Amino acid sequence: MTLQTQNIWNGRIGTVTIGADRAHGGTRTLQYTLGGEQDLAAVGPGATQQRPLIAAEICDDPGIWSPIVNTFMGDTVNDTAGWAGTMESEYHPDIVRLHLTSTRKRNFKDFSGIPETVSGVLKSTGLPLIIEGSNDPSIDSEVYQKCGEASSGERVLLGTAEAGRYRSIAAAAMAYNHCIIAQSPIDINLAKQLNILLKEIGVPYDRILIDPYTGALGYGFEYSYSVMERIRYAALKGDQDLAMTMISAAPDSLNIREVREARDDETDRTAATWEFYTAFSAVIAGASIVCVRHPLAIPLLKSAIDSIWPHSAGREA
Amino acid sequence: MALKALDIYKLLPKKNCKECGDPTCLTFAMKLASGKGDIEKCPYLDDHAKSVLGASTKPPVRKIKIGVGERAFVVGEEFVQFRHEKTFYHPPGIMVSVSDTQTKPEIEQIVTNVRDYVLTRIGMDLRLNGIAIRNDSNNPEQFGTAVSYAEGCADLPVVLMAGTLAAAEAGLHECGNYRPIVHCATRENYREYCSLTKKSGAVLAIRAGTPDEMAELSTLCTEAGQDALLLDLSSRSLRQFINDSTIIRQHAITRTTPSLGYPVFYDATIPDNADAALVLGILKYGAVIVIGPPTRPSEKALLTLRQNIYTDPQKPIQMTAGLYRVGNPGKDAPVLMTVNFSLTYFTLQGYLESSRVSCYMLIVDTEGLSVLTAVAAGKLNETMVRDAIKKYGVENEVSHRTLIIPGYASPLSGRIEEETGWKVLVGPRDAAEIGEYLETEWKA
Ligand code: SF4
Repeated sequence: MTLQTQNIWNGRIGTVTIGADRAHGGTRTLQYTLGGEQDLAAVGPGATQQRPLIAAEICDDPGIWSPIVNTFMGDTVNDTAGWAGTMESEYHPDIVRLHLTSTRKRNFKDFSGIPETVSGVLKSTGLPLIIEGSNDPSIDSEVYQKCGEASSGERVLLGTAEAGRYRSIAAAAMAYNHCIIAQSPIDINLAKQLNILLKEIGVPYDRILIDPYTGALGYGFEYSYSVMERIRYAALKGDQDLAMTMISAAPDSLNIREVREARDDETDRTAATWEFYTAFSAVIAGASIVCVRHPLAIPLLKSAIDSIWPHSAGREA
Repeated sequence: MALKALDIYKLLPKKNCKECGDPTCLTFAMKLASGKGDIEKCPYLDDHAKSVLGASTKPPVRKIKIGVGERAFVVGEEFVQFRHEKTFYHPPGIMVSVSDTQTKPEIEQIVTNVRDYVLTRIGMDLRLNGIAIRNDSNNPEQFGTAVSYAEGCADLPVVLMAGTLAAAEAGLHECGNYRPIVHCATRENYREYCSLTKKSGAVLAIRAGTPDEMAELSTLCTEAGQDALLLDLSSRSLRQFINDSTIIRQHAITRTTPSLGYPVFYDATIPDNADAALVLGILKYGAVIVIGPPTRPSEKALLTLRQNIYTDPQKPIQMTAGLYRVGNPGKDAPVLMTVNFSLTYFTLQGYLESSRVSCYMLIVDTEGLSVLTAVAAGKLNETMVRDAIKKYGVENEVSHRTLIIPGYASPLSGRIEEETGWKVLVGPRDAAEIGEYLETEWKA
């Protein structure tokens, strides 16, 4: 007798490919195919397990970014492309996530700057990209069109679609062959609904990642943790409309009181630790991509993830 | 499998005598069915009923108390694999390790920190739980001395990581009456450990290499009369721990392998990945977790994660929008607007209550998003605020026209003023500062 886990699954997480290397029409040095799991994260035989990926977040206007990260990185944050390159060469994430925070300014008009920023980042790093566009519906269409076009052929992950605000981003993704992030506010039913909406306007499921929204540790993280577990559970039970890989980022992590009020000599360590606890828990709940802002969180996550997933199954040769 | 309340009721004496502490036999049966009752409380059960009920009404993971006094804690008594199925009940005890090769002051410093460190979050005092003393010297006498150092400066629950029977005996000599955990018995020596720990009422951690071997060993121990057990699978890797612990939890809650129905012991002092092991211990059913002395950032993060995971998930995430009173607000009381994310609401309400300023909270429906996210996502805007003021009759409640908005909503302040005709004051970003803010800034 050998005792085994007892959950009976009949579903499987769908696959999604992010990044395009030269053999696939892009210029990335590698690309990833995520998904395919048939059990809970890290449970069961290793063969069905994809290694979760770490995304390093950067932005093109550090004015609305964590002052902790800005201080840690110094001048680098004023050169978006250089920042992306530094993240890759010094901290070794799997993906770079570029937030176009410049578009958040009131009356943003500099649409021609977007392609410049995007191609600069594409040149300075060979890693697959996530690009976060605007969050103002009135400029969405132009911003996403520019993002999509500037990264055409690279199969980037475009963020972030929400219920009531997904058409521009879906159009850009379909026109330029990219994938998209579909975010819902910590609710399994809303997550499912949004996927169905996207399918109806022609976005295939192998282009969608679910972002169930991640609250900061101590500020609602428990809800996010359980929603991720429930989505993974539903997918493994056979619900096709929830069987996408998940992405988790806790955007408020570095703004919370515990991190802001850490002793000066412990600020970076606290920021990295807080991001690590959140992101690693998200991985165990079922997230395939976890995003962090403090560079020092990356080696912590890498070491933990490598120890559970020693092979790099997410990579395609 | 678990029995239904009615099946249990059929086996009860039906005297309705209340001696069990329940008003009727039926309510006692319902309590037993949910796994929260104790059959010993009914003095009139016959032997047949006892033997049937004994096996099937015990909680599927046995409840075990560790330590004595104020800092004693309970683990086990869990019912589900995923917290969203119901809730996780008893948060794991975090035991900080010291070595018997350390000096007295070194040991005392670590013990004092565990004794005194408190993190207060949303009205709860969060603490590390106890001390694990390691026998690194391989000398029972030195081990006993280290235990006495730890005992000398705090009444904390302890784990005797004794390694040998002689060291366990020396340790128990110092703390045997305080319900410590003795670590650990194996297939080879369980008899001796069982009789030793039974004598002093200590809890016994047992160690086996696989869940199968663990099931056998735990059966042997209960046959030897010791059933205050913790299971240590001494998992070789993080992945192994997740799998082992998941197997144990599932076999326990489905009652398919009742001998695995004991809380899990996890030594998370894994070089290079100590924080990762600790996170897994908290998420994946660890009940007693041994760690090295934590750094200050880890200490805060681990206590917060444990609190999050062991919060009842049935607590609603969204509040109903509306006008809420804090204290006894009058016509000139401040009105504070915020979102309907329940955590935001409860955090702010807590600080307002402690500030002792009576006021109104105007809760706007942002679909449960926090202020920061709602503003970023356009889920909070000036028309919603205007409509909420009208809908909840705020203008009839107060005579002034000043609205305090959260600091993170400051980008909206101008637009809210235009739309509502109210004067807008931008409050602090952090609810913790609201008391001081009201004191200095508020004039109706
Ligand atoms: S003590 Fe026994 S007989 Fe009396 S009410 Fe309780 S269950 Fe019924």
